Amino acid sequence: MLDPYLSWLESTAFSTWMRESTSIFAFPIVLALHTIGLGLIAGLNVALDLRILGFAARIPVPEFRGFVPLMWVGLWLNVTSGLALLAAYPTKALTNPVFYLKLGFIGVALVILKVVRRRLPTEGMAVTMSMTRNFRILAAASILCWAGAITAGRFLAYTYTRLLVDSVPRP
Amino acid sequence: MVNFQLWLEHTLSNVDPVATFMRTRWGWPTVESVHFIGLTLLFGTIAAWDLRLLGMAKRVPIVAFHRLVPFAVLGFAINATSGSMFLMTEPDQYLYNRAFQFKLLFMALAGLNVVVFYLAVFRRVSRLAPGVDAPPAVKVFGATSLACWIAVIVCGRLITWYRPDRCDLTQAIGFLAACIPR
Repeated sequence: MLDPYLSWLESTAFSTWMRESTSIFAFPIVLALHTIGLGLIAGLNVALDLRILGFAARIPVPEFRGFVPLMWVGLWLNVTSGLALLAAYPTKALTNPVFYLKLGFIGVALVILKVVRRRLPTEGMAVTMSMTRNFRILAAASILCWAGAITAGRFLAYTYTRLLVDSVPRP
Repeated sequence: MVNFQLWLEHTLSNVDPVATFMRTRWGWPTVESVHFIGLTLLFGTIAAWDLRLLGMAKRVPIVAFHRLVPFAVLGFAINATSGSMFLMTEPDQYLYNRAFQFKLLFMALAGLNVVVFYLAVFRRVSRLAPGVDAPPAVKVFGATSLACWIAVIVCGRLITWYRPDRCDLTQAIGFLAACIPR
């Protein structure tokens, strides 16, 4: 069903360059940027989650607001590099259910981050126990979602059935 | 050094139980996922600390971030373990790989940076009040750490790009061989 579009995408100059260029700035550096972006958004988010779960209690939670813009930098770095990687091998990703699982985990993790970010207590504001408890549940879910997204992402390299639109499906 | 590489390759390739597990259907992908989760834990907590040194979230006393260090250590332990498992399974693909050699170099630099930081300035830094900017000399440590860990990530991802070719032993003479001597 998607094949004509995949075929067109794979024949574009950008896709071909990403896939076939011997330049280190094609696939390898884009992949490296994707990993740095991962470290920024998931890494800093997990640091915030750990703080909400009660570790490093001397860091005032509102101060994590300062790191949120950097998480968005990581996110946009990964949206961009992710689209470039997707352009290189669209069939490989889009015909693999694990890819949608990865996107699902990322989506939920981002919604949680949005919710937590909006409700981060401002200075001097008392945090009620129930709020703290809900916060903790969200923080734990956030960590699980990022771990799930990372695992699904790694498994993309091993679970695909079709590499390119014309390639013979793998067993 | 080439002799040391050969010895290391021989020694690591003899850890059979690890290699057997890694060669099962989902062994390698699972350990790879764990390696990336460890990366996230290590990089996220270290970056938060480095960025505080560089001037972000200034209202937090620097020592407060010290409480996150155990997670960085945990991330490092996870990755040293999972990394060693790759090494024991395909030692020649790493030991003669330029990207891997540089990865180790940057890890060593990051380690040296931590040691000097704790010995030279940590005591002074821990007394800094909230809201106080770290002195320029301290910022250098934060910037070095951030740069080193980014370099470690980049080199790690380049390992598959710089797969070493085979060569005969005489060609491999040099400080560090970057091809697989046979």
